[in-house]
Amino acid sequence: MDLKKLIRTAATFDMPSRRRDLLRVGSLTFLGINLSQYLAIENAMAAASRQLQGKSEACILLWLNGGPSHIDMWDPKSNSSFKSISTNVPGIEISELLPQVSRHMDKLAIIRSMYSEENNHGKGHHYVMTGHRPSPTMKFPALGSIITKETTARNGVPPNVMVPKIHPGYLSYFKSHFIGAEYDPIFIPDPNDEDFSIPDLRLPKSVTTRRIHQRETFLDVVDRLYRRGVEHAEHANVDTFRKRALNMILSESVRRAFDISAEPDKLRDVYGRHTLGQSALIARRLVESGTRFVTVSDLHREGTGRDWDTHGKNDEQHRDHLVPQLDQTLAALLADLEDRGLLDTTMVIAMGEFGRTPDINSGGGRDHWCHCWSLTLGGGGIRGGRVIGESDERGAYVSDRMVTIGDLFATIYKAFGIDWTTEYLHPVGRPLKIANSLNDETGEPVEELM
Amino acid sequence: MTALRTTSGCSSLVFISFLVFIFVGRAGADVADNESVLSGIRLMPEGVTLVGANASQCFVVLGTYSDGMERDVTDQCHFTLSDTAVARFDMHRRLHPLADGTTTLTAELSGISAVTTLRVADVWRQQPISFVRNIRMILTKQGCNASDCHGGVKGRGGFKLSLDALDPRADYGWILNGGGFHVLSPEPLEPKEPRINLENPEQSLLLLKPTGEVSHEGGLQLEPDSREFRILLDWIHSGAPYGDNDDDSVAHLEVTPHDVVVTTEGHRQILVTARLSSGRRVDFTDQVRYESLDRDVVKVTRTGLVHAQAPGEARVVVRAVDHVTVTHVRVVEQPVASYPQVSRVNYIDELVLSKLEKFRIVPSELSGDAEFLRRVCLDLTGTLPPPDRVREFLDNKSAEKRDALISVLLDSPEFIDYWTFRLSDLFRVNGYYGWVHQSWEWVRKAVARNRPYDQIARELIAAQGYNGNSRHFLLGDNKPAPVERVVAEQFRVFMGRRLDCAQCHNHPFDQWTQDQFWGLAAFYGRLTNTEWYGDNVVFDDPDGHEVDFGDNGTDGLVFRRVMHPRTKVSVLPTFPDGQVLVEDRRIDPRQELAEWITSQDEFAEAAVNRFWRYFFGRGVVEPVDDFRIDNPPTHPELLRVLATDFREHGCDLRHLMRRIVSSRTYQLSNQPNETNQDDVLNYSHALARPLAAEVLLDAISSVSGVPEVFSGGGILTGAAPPGTRAINLKLPADYPSPFLEIYGRPKRDAVPERDERANLRQALHTLAGTTYNDKLRAEGGRIDELLRNNVSDQEIIEQFYLAAFSRDPQETELLALTKLLAGSLNHEEAVTDLLWALINSREFAENH
Repeated sequence: MDLKKLIRTAATFDMPSRRRDLLRVGSLTFLGINLSQYLAIENAMAAASRQLQGKSEACILLWLNGGPSHIDMWDPKSNSSFKSISTNVPGIEISELLPQVSRHMDKLAIIRSMYSEENNHGKGHHYVMTGHRPSPTMKFPALGSIITKETTARNGVPPNVMVPKIHPGYLSYFKSHFIGAEYDPIFIPDPNDEDFSIPDLRLPKSVTTRRIHQRETFLDVVDRLYRRGVEHAEHANVDTFRKRALNMILSESVRRAFDISAEPDKLRDVYGRHTLGQSALIARRLVESGTRFVTVSDLHREGTGRDWDTHGKNDEQHRDHLVPQLDQTLAALLADLEDRGLLDTTMVIAMGEFGRTPDINSGGGRDHWCHCWSLTLGGGGIRGGRVIGESDERGAYVSDRMVTIGDLFATIYKAFGIDWTTEYLHPVGRPLKIANSLNDETGEPVEELM
Repeated sequence: MTALRTTSGCSSLVFISFLVFIFVGRAGADVADNESVLSGIRLMPEGVTLVGANASQCFVVLGTYSDGMERDVTDQCHFTLSDTAVARFDMHRRLHPLADGTTTLTAELSGISAVTTLRVADVWRQQPISFVRNIRMILTKQGCNASDCHGGVKGRGGFKLSLDALDPRADYGWILNGGGFHVLSPEPLEPKEPRINLENPEQSLLLLKPTGEVSHEGGLQLEPDSREFRILLDWIHSGAPYGDNDDDSVAHLEVTPHDVVVTTEGHRQILVTARLSSGRRVDFTDQVRYESLDRDVVKVTRTGLVHAQAPGEARVVVRAVDHVTVTHVRVVEQPVASYPQVSRVNYIDELVLSKLEKFRIVPSELSGDAEFLRRVCLDLTGTLPPPDRVREFLDNKSAEKRDALISVLLDSPEFIDYWTFRLSDLFRVNGYYGWVHQSWEWVRKAVARNRPYDQIARELIAAQGYNGNSRHFLLGDNKPAPVERVVAEQFRVFMGRRLDCAQCHNHPFDQWTQDQFWGLAAFYGRLTNTEWYGDNVVFDDPDGHEVDFGDNGTDGLVFRRVMHPRTKVSVLPTFPDGQVLVEDRRIDPRQELAEWITSQDEFAEAAVNRFWRYFFGRGVVEPVDDFRIDNPPTHPELLRVLATDFREHGCDLRHLMRRIVSSRTYQLSNQPNETNQDDVLNYSHALARPLAAEVLLDAISSVSGVPEVFSGGGILTGAAPPGTRAINLKLPADYPSPFLEIYGRPKRDAVPERDERANLRQALHTLAGTTYNDKLRAEGGRIDELLRNNVSDQEIIEQFYLAAFSRDPQETELLALTKLLAGSLNHEEAVTDLLWALINSREFAENH
């Protein structure tokens, strides 16, 4: 039975729209539907009433792989070696390591009371990207994939992109799994490389349009007998996807979306001539072309001392290598988005999978800390220039207004106009909340940000 | 007909009756929708005795037709009773008792009759209504305790019942006191509104809600003038007693038909008979809940009348208290006129054919040699046969060549490679810092030496120290996984059952309780390991302590108990039947559990089912780790016999595989015929299945003649030795490959589930990716060889076909392709494009 038709039927009848009244007249059987159909309608109607006009149309996530030290950046404390500085928002202070961002504080909100439950990289990635703790019997869809699924693709450009490709062991934490591979991100290489080009989106030089036709002709002959005898629903799908893929490959707009060389050199300098900077720039370009979700992964390169996982020499790494790049790039991104009038519709988030320990260890480093940490977000309808929540005097535990990953997701979904109470049904039969918070509850959007 | 009267007062519960068929020739015989002719009728059930005031019986008449079909003709029949003082029919054609005695019942249709004798006894005896006997049954029949209503995890509308009345004591409590279900506490959730009102029975919520007198989210579920309503009301009036435990409870539920075929216009009444523990048989047709799981194929009414909707196969679930059965119904447009004789090789064929025959599906022909060759090579070794071996097999004239091929494959090194790969996925051979080696070696040795599968299972479940696959317990981050996740996974893998949901609450749609789950989880309660880096040894700590490393910046001894999350009580290792593991066996609990698991029937069934799926694309129970009361096997007898055979041969995997691939069923052609075109459940013809990512990549490498280079990217850096095949990679996570990632290679951090659907990234890769471009034309590859040796176009095509499809090209294909090659602007490019087409074809990328 067509659900939409039933909703319309219910609406046109001169019946009260409230569920209980609907039932008092015993109307279920009158409408000729059964219980599960009724409940499906009820959910759809309730969802419709919760539908908001979300401002956000796209999101750029600066993924600070390894876990940045929150007390040395967003939540300055006395146990940090660094001083705090004021920002262009009176009353808000951040670490002296972020001077350029301090001039854009009005665009950003800082959450200082983030709480998560996994203190290890792999599991932390999983937890912060899906809202669930990892399980050997189930795979969970990531935030980016859910947003891709709940919004429509635009302009034929890939709706979900990750740049550059993260450590291969972590790829699956950013994927869609059972909700459908079509919402998986496309992984592109480091745009800071001189010979940057997208594998799989650009035909080799020797493969011209003529050759594509030649290949199709051969394929038609080769597969004809088989496909006539063994008919299979998937065959049609393969054809459809190949057509779409070809369109994407041949599309000028898609090629342009990924063509970072078209950006003026001066702008490329402002973002920063490093992986983070150029990736953020291409993210802006992609969002402009219609991509919905871009994850900029600040590459977790083992052993080069370049990643955020500063178990040793924490201060040196943050001060000399890590934070300056982020400072430069984040400030550039915010300014650039504002200049192009994209900031209202583009959310920017900067976070890692956890924070770092308030205490320095014997190697001068800080270790993983998930009990209380910070992140920053702005744009896409998020109200900037404010701080949410508080940590204790050492930045060790939340002292006020805890925000869980579920709450964070609910906030992001609400900004997009997505119903954050939605549940997806895993093939195993278990309903999974898209904004999963603690104790099997749904997260609550942080209203102070909306 | 004279009435047969028994002496009054005789209340013998055993009565021998007889069923009489009377055929009265063809005069005025009935004609079915397809012009076939009625040849006889059958009246069911036989030997009915109605005992007690509330007994009743439903009858079904089946007509046999000249087209071989049996059709439900009950509503066309004329029924007569020889003694109308003994029993009467109501307007729904249900028989009720009037007085003790005996009568015959005759059904007649178009001059053909059938007769049965039935008896009435104790017509004045009323049984008191109790919760445990009557109310539980009504709650199940009316669907109140279904999983999407009050039987759901948290109940609904503040009212909770156990699923399918599994916990009558709890249900009685919920009804008497009200309250809702708390996931994290055994206390009922407020508000607590009693569902019955003993002072004012008519005002009980239990009556007001389902009749719509008070608003009920579930709508109208009970008619005020129904028998069920009356029983509920009478029960409340009589003080709502719980009742004694039913000493004459249902021992067995017989559902007829079990597997049945109907035409698209057809219908069939289901008959449910309960055999009580006393031996007495009672009609339960109107006391159970019917549900069609495939409503676009058949629908079923509340009274058990199945109506065909469209051709296909459907499952109808019949639920009574404590018993759930499933009937399979197949709907066909036109039943096949006469069923041919089909040859059979082993018991697999016997059992598959018996269902095919019942369902009027004719299996396809036997596969051709080329088709069989490619299929069995891929299924047993994951490797395409090289062209010269293809030629050898196709030219061989021996009648036993297929069996000989099977033996060769089972003993081949590729067999070991392939099954090491498959089992490494299943057992999640994973881990960092070089520990993966002994896990992988353990799997490989087990395959190479054909170690019995139950022994493999025991070695894994009880793995200790550094041995075998003890790494399996370190869920990716070198610390032991939480017990609930370990037990859920191991049950899925070895018992084929998804306990997972029972972690937080009683399973929402199967019969596992939360207590059972945690009792099993407790067997893993001592699992721990020594150190994060260095020698990470897995063991069961006799004290049950766990050392906490580094997370909080401190070392500390943390006692690791297994605690029930709702009752907050420490749980001891307990088997599902409630038996607690005795104290002197608690040093090595995982060993005890391993022995228990591997001795269960479920273990053998889950194992054969899982391996069956590798050869047919679908388990007899599907998904293979989801054995569930309402997910029945399509061929229960087949599963049972396979499991018995497996056990009798010491859980020998090669023996099982040989049985499977030697059967005629496995060797059927993939070309469907008219009767089996839409069949995907009954093995009437071979179905195409996509190749696994690793097998596909290896196949592309072998056809193109260009080996894949796997360079390391992780801890074990460095390239894999040249010529390493994808199925041989020990630790996939350390050998990233865009192709494998796009085609869904699993990460081995969860039970293997490959998404085999086409997607956009695959399509992009086939057009622009390196695998489908650079790899085809590399130096030293097959194209290179062929072109350098100036081989003719015809021979190029033949070589490619042998390599990729294991067959010769057909005349039409050869003609068309040579023409294309000859007419191309650039010959070399054209040959490359031909190869591109071959590896992109569905014929190549699928196993058929």
